[in-house]
Amino acid sequence: MSSFALKLAVRELRGGLNGFRIFLLCLMLGVGAIAAVGLVRAAIESGLKSQGAALLGGDAALKFTYRFASDAEKDWMAGQAVRVSEIADFRSMVVVSEETGLTQIKAVDSAYPLVGAVTLTPEIPLTQALALQSKLPGAVMDGVLVARMGLSVGQSFMLGTKSFELTAILTQEPDNATSGFSLGPRTLVMNQMLKGSGLLQEGTMFDSLYRLELPQGTDLDVFKERVSQRWPDGSVRYYDSRRASPGVERFVERMGSFLILVGLAGLAVGGVGISSAVRAYLDGKIATIATLKTLGASGRLIFQVYLTQIALLAGLGVVLGLCLGALGPMIAAPWIAASLPFPVVFGLFPKPLAEAAFYGMTTAFLFTLWPLARSGKVRAAALYRGLSHMVRPGVKDILALLTLSSLLVGGAVYFSGSVKLALGAAGGILGALLVLLAAAFSLVHAAQLSLKWRWLQGSPAVRLALASISKRKSESISVMLSLGLGLSVLAAVGQIDTNLRLAIERDLPDRAPSYFFVDIQKDQIDGFLTRVTGDPLVSKVESAPMLRGVITKINGQKPVGSVSEHWVVRGDRGLTYAATQPAGTTLTQGTWWPQDYQGVPQISFAAQEAEEINLKLGDTITVNILGRDITAEVTSFRNVDFSSAGMGFVMALNPAAIAGAPHSFIATVYAAEESEAAILRDLHKAYPNITAIRIRDTVARVGEALSAIATATAWAASVTLITGFIVLIGAAAAGERQRIFEAAILKSIGAQRALILGSFALRSALLGAGAGVVAVVIGGIGGWAVMHFVMEVAYVFEPISAILIVFGGALATLLAGLAFSFRPLQARPANILRTQD
Amino acid sequence: MLMGGLERATSGHLQAMGHDLTALNEDALAAFRLQNMGVVFQSFHLVPTLTALENVALPLELGGISDAFARAQEDLIAVGLGARAHHYPSQLSGGEQQRVALARAAASRPKILLADEPTGNLDGVNGAAVMDLLFGLRDRFGATLIMVTHSPELAARCSRVIKLHDGRITDEGI
Repeated sequence: MSSFALKLAVRELRGGLNGFRIFLLCLMLGVGAIAAVGLVRAAIESGLKSQGAALLGGDAALKFTYRFASDAEKDWMAGQAVRVSEIADFRSMVVVSEETGLTQIKAVDSAYPLVGAVTLTPEIPLTQALALQSKLPGAVMDGVLVARMGLSVGQSFMLGTKSFELTAILTQEPDNATSGFSLGPRTLVMNQMLKGSGLLQEGTMFDSLYRLELPQGTDLDVFKERVSQRWPDGSVRYYDSRRASPGVERFVERMGSFLILVGLAGLAVGGVGISSAVRAYLDGKIATIATLKTLGASGRLIFQVYLTQIALLAGLGVVLGLCLGALGPMIAAPWIAASLPFPVVFGLFPKPLAEAAFYGMTTAFLFTLWPLARSGKVRAAALYRGLSHMVRPGVKDILALLTLSSLLVGGAVYFSGSVKLALGAAGGILGALLVLLAAAFSLVHAAQLSLKWRWLQGSPAVRLALASISKRKSESISVMLSLGLGLSVLAAVGQIDTNLRLAIERDLPDRAPSYFFVDIQKDQIDGFLTRVTGDPLVSKVESAPMLRGVITKINGQKPVGSVSEHWVVRGDRGLTYAATQPAGTTLTQGTWWPQDYQGVPQISFAAQEAEEINLKLGDTITVNILGRDITAEVTSFRNVDFSSAGMGFVMALNPAAIAGAPHSFIATVYAAEESEAAILRDLHKAYPNITAIRIRDTVARVGEALSAIATATAWAASVTLITGFIVLIGAAAAGERQRIFEAAILKSIGAQRALILGSFALRSALLGAGAGVVAVVIGGIGGWAVMHFVMEVAYVFEPISAILIVFGGALATLLAGLAFSFRPLQARPANILRTQD
Repeated sequence: MLMGGLERATSGHLQAMGHDLTALNEDALAAFRLQNMGVVFQSFHLVPTLTALENVALPLELGGISDAFARAQEDLIAVGLGARAHHYPSQLSGGEQQRVALARAAASRPKILLADEPTGNLDGVNGAAVMDLLFGLRDRFGATLIMVTHSPELAARCSRVIKLHDGRITDEGI
């Protein structure tokens, strides 16, 4: 780049930024949205990191499934740490007279919390709140559950067979974010007070957590290594304050990446506006370029001059976008912090800002390269004759375009950290742009063809509108691309959201059981089954023994790579045993073990999950159950339907392998809604330790979570739509001069304003509706792909959001078109036509 | 421009065909032009998105004429452009564009043909051809032709010449 080119570029820019308002706005919004999402993600991650110890409840934590640590294990932990706190976490039922409510109990010791503080209303110390009150042990409870149960401080309630006194309302729990998705609001009690409650019996589903305050300066990597040496079978889960909530972090990371890629769609829409703005700017510079060329300037110099101008303007747009992106989260900080259950540390993080700047600059160059390349190639004589449009960019320019596209996609892969997600998004955006481009050309062609229809003769407003669509190709295409892409993202979000809701809220309850009952003891299962199967309003009951275990080895080796990331391997899973093949179970391969098989343990694995982790018949799986490794041979695969929310176990073993281990039973009950209350009351009276999980409540919770995700996505998509609308306004503004001229001619030959306005409005509405229809098709395809390939549920086209999108598209274009129609209508024909003479 | 109602008089009154043009609003002026006037401009001013045939048919469609396109086709043939009916203005030469503009101005058979420097943007040969057509249309349809020109030869072909200098009438030509 020569300094002369820079000098010329700066001189040209002295004229002001008039033609670049849309350019700057598009870039600013796209970059701003990406920066804002990135900064919020970084703020959450920073908050999680800075408060890691408080969120985890210690410097490190060890989690045991279904059991407490043995004395030897406790001694080991005590030897490593300055202080240790023991916690048991499990689901149970709160009972107030005849009312029952699901709760997530945290049974703590006197050391809890090692880090941070619990906040209560009234403000009393936790130890005082949980201590033995006048007669009953104290307990604190989440305000939501207190209200639901109609309790007030000082009143009593039951957990299992034991009464507790509510001493305060739990307003803040420092380690709540690490608990993940829970179905019941929290109740806190002292662990020794649970004695005599009938809860936490052998086989009860619970986790015990040991939080450790380590000596200052402990190297966490070294300590982690010590833990894995102490429990080489991997049966104990290890966490430390560097990554206190891996689940939350993973979700925030993925959700952030997804939203940034949605924001990238907004930048692509902005790219259409940027490209149009640069093309219009360079068209207006033809005389200048011609003059420079006649004075001896080379095509290379011309290219450099305008490339420099675009680079300077893109830089300005990116900086403005970064300011906007930084400002947004700062303004929304109080609201964001209040709505999240963990601390958020806002700041100007360089990585998300660099990411947004990279996307902004790359997109700006990608969309301006084509018009820029033309400017350098135009011959001076051709410029004077107004033939610049006949110049085509060359092979080098196409190569440069491909390089820039690869850079953009490569950047998306690097920043999102997911090749699949980035390529999927890039493919989606490119595919949508190509479909929209094809649709725009088709619409232009259809308008051209329809002008030949005889029945349109005598309808000048309609024919003028169609003629305008077909002859003003670049404006029509610009509108279709910009609005269409924004609407496509919104349509896809609408289709996915509605289909997920349909699958979960409407379809699932029809097929799903009314209740899940857990922690049914061996000596309770017969009585339980007698009560529910004897009820005429119960249509179906299923029960099975249930244990939990962690897959620690496959074929004698620790799972590695993608297999170790699979959900079946990542956490502890439910497993069952059965002597005979359960009714309704279909084996896809292999055979079930003989009824009283006593040999080497055998396992039947869920067929689809087995395929996903490359299991074959004859492979061995080591499952750690209650600290004991059991290695079983895979002897069959079977179909398991997890989508019905019914009973489904990934692993089933022969009884001799695991029946001796402490365990309980679970049961699903399919009952008429009117019988639910009575069943619950009777069962609770007979078996107070049993926990009932109402599927409808679970569905509602999942629905709420989905709704929050859909809202976040819709917000990101709305930036795309706003950018699209700005591009639309830009296109309408650019066409205003032409419309003024057209209106003047039409008036001069006798057309009245209503007819002219009707023609302009019809043209806008047709283009907008066209963009809307194509967006619905693209959104439908996107929705189908997500439902079919990712969610693996049936897709149903959702018409209401589709109609709204077509209508919205037409309305948006109409409004933008009309806003720029009033000047043409008011202009005096003489003034306009005279300036053309 | 004032006569065609394309410009508003800043003072005084303007009577044409029994109408006070200064009292009419934009739409009424447009309706007046549709019924009474055909205008030809120096720069042709065809609608760029419409073909030659569609441009000529436009005033007829606006007037609600049912066979607008058949009549427009005849008028295009009359100006020697029957073969160019489906071409867009950008595909026509200046002379051809002005001939389309003549056909369009005369399509609704106006009582007055207003021509504002109709040959100003044309070369001599095309200019002469266009003028022949314009006078021919005037004679064929019995319209009054009011023409603005700098050409004394063209002015000489008119029945009355009013001379203006710096916006003032210097010779009323009576």
